[in-house]
Amino acid sequence: MSRFLGLLRRHAWAFALVLAIALLIANLMVSPNFLSPARLPATLATLAPFVLVGFASTPSILSGGVDVSVGPLATFINCLFVAVLLPSGIGDWYAAIPILLLTAAGIGAMTGVLVAVVRLHPVVASTGVLFVLIGLSITISKSPVSATPNWSDPLAQSFGWIPGALVTMGVVALGWFFLRRTAFVANLLATGESDVSAYGSGVNVTAVRILAYALGGLFAGIAGIALSALLQSSQSSLATTYALLGLAAAVLGGTALGGGKGGLLGTFFGALVIYLLQQLLTAAGVQPSLVQFAYGFALVVGVLVGATLLNSRRVRSRA
Amino acid sequence: MSESREGLRLANVSKRFGATRALSDAHLRIGPGEVHTLLGENGSGKSTLVKIIGGVHRPDDGEFTLDGATVQQRGPRRMNALGIAVVFQEVLTAASQSVLDNIWLGSDGLFVRKLSLSKQRRRAAETLGRLVDGVDLDAPAGQLSLSERQAVCIVRALVREPRILILDESTAALDVQTRDRLFAEMRRLTAEGVGILFISHRMDEVQEISDRVTVLRSGRTISSVDRADLRIPQLIADMTGTSGHFERSERDHALGDSTLRAQNVRLRAGAVPIDFELRGGEMVGLAGLEGQGQDAFLKRLSGLAAGAGLVTRVIGPDIDVRQGNGAKLGVAYLPRERRGESLFESMSIRENFALPTLRQDRRGPFLDAKRMRERFGEYVSALGIRLGTQDDPISSLSGGSQQKVLLARWLATDPKVLLLNDPTRGVDIMTKREIYATLDRLCADGMSVVMLSSEVEELVELVDRVLVFRDQEIFTEIPRERLTTEAIVAAYFGQSTERAA
Repeated sequence: MSRFLGLLRRHAWAFALVLAIALLIANLMVSPNFLSPARLPATLATLAPFVLVGFASTPSILSGGVDVSVGPLATFINCLFVAVLLPSGIGDWYAAIPILLLTAAGIGAMTGVLVAVVRLHPVVASTGVLFVLIGLSITISKSPVSATPNWSDPLAQSFGWIPGALVTMGVVALGWFFLRRTAFVANLLATGESDVSAYGSGVNVTAVRILAYALGGLFAGIAGIALSALLQSSQSSLATTYALLGLAAAVLGGTALGGGKGGLLGTFFGALVIYLLQQLLTAAGVQPSLVQFAYGFALVVGVLVGATLLNSRRVRSRA
Repeated sequence: MSESREGLRLANVSKRFGATRALSDAHLRIGPGEVHTLLGENGSGKSTLVKIIGGVHRPDDGEFTLDGATVQQRGPRRMNALGIAVVFQEVLTAASQSVLDNIWLGSDGLFVRKLSLSKQRRRAAETLGRLVDGVDLDAPAGQLSLSERQAVCIVRALVREPRILILDESTAALDVQTRDRLFAEMRRLTAEGVGILFISHRMDEVQEISDRVTVLRSGRTISSVDRADLRIPQLIADMTGTSGHFERSERDHALGDSTLRAQNVRLRAGAVPIDFELRGGEMVGLAGLEGQGQDAFLKRLSGLAAGAGLVTRVIGPDIDVRQGNGAKLGVAYLPRERRGESLFESMSIRENFALPTLRQDRRGPFLDAKRMRERFGEYVSALGIRLGTQDDPISSLSGGSQQKVLLARWLATDPKVLLLNDPTRGVDIMTKREIYATLDRLCADGMSVVMLSSEVEELVELVDRVLVFRDQEIFTEIPRERLTTEAIVAAYFGQSTERAA
C-alpha cells in the first residue's frame, strides 16, 4: 500500500491518467466511433485548446504562484489574430506567428513582473490582467468576426496524415522537453518549492519567476492560435470559459498549487479528463449547465486527492 | 596590506534592523587555510554577520574586503561568484527535488548548466560520498534524514569549490559519523588554502577544529584568540561579559501546591523524557540556544502543541491540558511574536486587551463599553501602561507597552499559571523593570510563572530555577543558589560548571 502510494506520489499524474482512461472507455461505450481515424483530427483540434491553456497555467503554478489570466490571454490572441491582423493584411504566417507569440509572452512577462518585482499577490496581479485582457478582447471584437481563409486552418485539420493539433501541442511538449534538460526547470521547481532555499543557494529567483509567467504567456499564445484554427472566427465571449480551465487541468494533473511539484505531462492528462468529461456529458445528452457542475466537481476531487492522498506524508524541508 | 592572499576581512561593520542594533562594531578576518570559529550567545549578531558575508544583508557601515578588494553586496549569487559559499543555519533543501538538483541548485545559470549533466552527477556523487554513504542522487531530498539533508546543503557549498566556506551551525543537524567526516573534509580544504568560518554551539567541536576563535557579544567583536591561547572559561566570560550582574529581587514567600505537571514529555523521538512540576508562587526560567527545545516545551505546557507525554493541570481535579484548551484551565500563554501571534494590529488598545474576556463585559446580549473601559483601566494603572486613550490603535504604542497590554489581556483571564515566551524581547529597559516587578508581585500572590528568555541576565535576576535545553532535552537544571550568567551560558554550550565560582 505504501509502495503504491509512493508510486502515486512520485508520479502525481498517475491519478489523472487512470481517470482519463476510465473516461475514454466510458466515451467509447456511449459513442463507439469516438476514436475513428476520420474524426481524429477534429477531435484533437477541440482537445488542443484545453490542453494548451492547461500548459500555459503550469509554469506559474510550478514557480509557486498562479496565473488565472492565461485563458483570457488565449482568447485575446484569437481576437487579435482574426479581428486585427487578418483584416489589416499582416495575417500571413511569417508575420502573424511572431507578433502573436511575442505579444502573448510579453503580456505573461508583465504579469510576472507584477508578481516578482512589484510583489503583488499572484491572484491579484493575474486577476487584474485577466480583466484588462477581457476588456481588450471585447474592444477588438465586440461580436464574433469570421476569419478570412488563412494558414491556421490545417492546424485544426491535418497536415497530410498528421493531425494539426499534434503540431500545436507537440511544439509546446517538445519545447518543455528541451527546457527540462537545461537548468531552467530545476531552478523553476526549486523556486516554487522553497524560494528561501533557492535564493540562499544563489538562484536568481526574480528572473525565474518572470520567465515562468512569460513561458505561460507564450503557451497561451499557442493556445490562441489553436483556438483560431478551430473556430476560424474571433470569440471574445470564450474568455470566461477558459479562464479557470487551465488551472483545473494543471491541478487535476497533480501539479501542486503550492508550487515546485508537477509538470506538463500531468496537465495533459488533466486537460484530457476535463475534455473527455465534457464530451461524455454532451454525448449523453446532459444539459450544458450540468457540464459546468461536473467541471467543478472534478476540480474539487482533484484538489482533495492531491492534498490528502498524495501530499499528506510529504516530508517538510524544515526540521 | 598584501593584495592577493589576505582572505576575507570585515572591519567596523554595523547593521540595524529598525530600532535594534544587530551589529555595531564587528571585526572578523578569515585567513586562507584556517578554521575560524565565531562564538556568541543568542542575539550576539552571529547570524547577521553570516548573512552579510552571504550577501543576504547589506551592512549599514564598515569595510568588507576579499583579498584586499572591496566586496559589493549584491545577493547570494554574487557572493558565490566571488568564491564565498555559505551553508546557512536552516537546512535549506527543496523537498521534492532530487538530491542531485538540490546539490547543484543555484550553481547553474538560468538555462545553462555549468557542467554537463554527467559531470554534475559524477562530481556530486564523489563529493557527497565524502560525507555520507548510500544516498541515492535521484531520490527526492525530502526522503532523506535531517542529517543527510544537511550534508546535501554542505555539499552544495563544496561543489562550488569556494575560497571561503561558511558553516553556520551546520553540525547541529549532523550525526556523529557525518560530523567527523565533515571535520576531515574541513582539514583537507584548509590544507588547500580554503578559509573556513565555523559556527557551532558545541564547545567540544570548537576545541577540536578551531585554528582561531572570535567572540561576538551584543554585535561587537570582544576577543579573537589563536588555538594556542584557547581557554574555555575565558571564552565563556567573553560571551557573557563581566559587566556585573543586576540586583536580584528577594522573594522569600513559601511555595504553594503544585499547579502544573508534565510527565514523560518527549520533544523528539529518542530524547530523554522530561518530568516537570511547577508549584504555586514559583517562577521557572527556560533557556537554551535557539531551537534547542525550550520553545517546544513551553508550547507543550500551554497545550498549544501536542506530542508524546502528558501535561496536567493539578489545581483542583487533575485535568489533561490538551491542545488548545489551556486558556480555559487557568493556564495563560503569552506568545513570542507579538505581531502575528498576539496582536490585532488594526484594532484599538482596549479591544486588544478585552478580546478573550469579552464575556465579563456582557450585559444581556450586548457589550457594556463602560465596564470594559473600567476593567482595562485597572490594569492600565496596575501595570503602568503608558497610552494616550484606550481607543487609540494598538500600533500607536511602543513594543514594551504592547507587551504590557498583552500581559493584561491574559491576567484578565485570572490564570493560575502564566507561561511567557521571551516576554521582554524588543522591550526597553525601563519597561522591562516594570514587567519584572509585576511578575514578582504575581508570584508573591501565588501565581506560577514559566518564562522562556533569551536574555541570560534577566533569568539570573528573576527566576527560582532555570532549565537549560540542549538538543530537545533538559541539559541541566540550575537552582537559584548557583544561578549565574556563566553557569547558564556554559550550559548552552554543553559545559557544566559544577565548580561554581
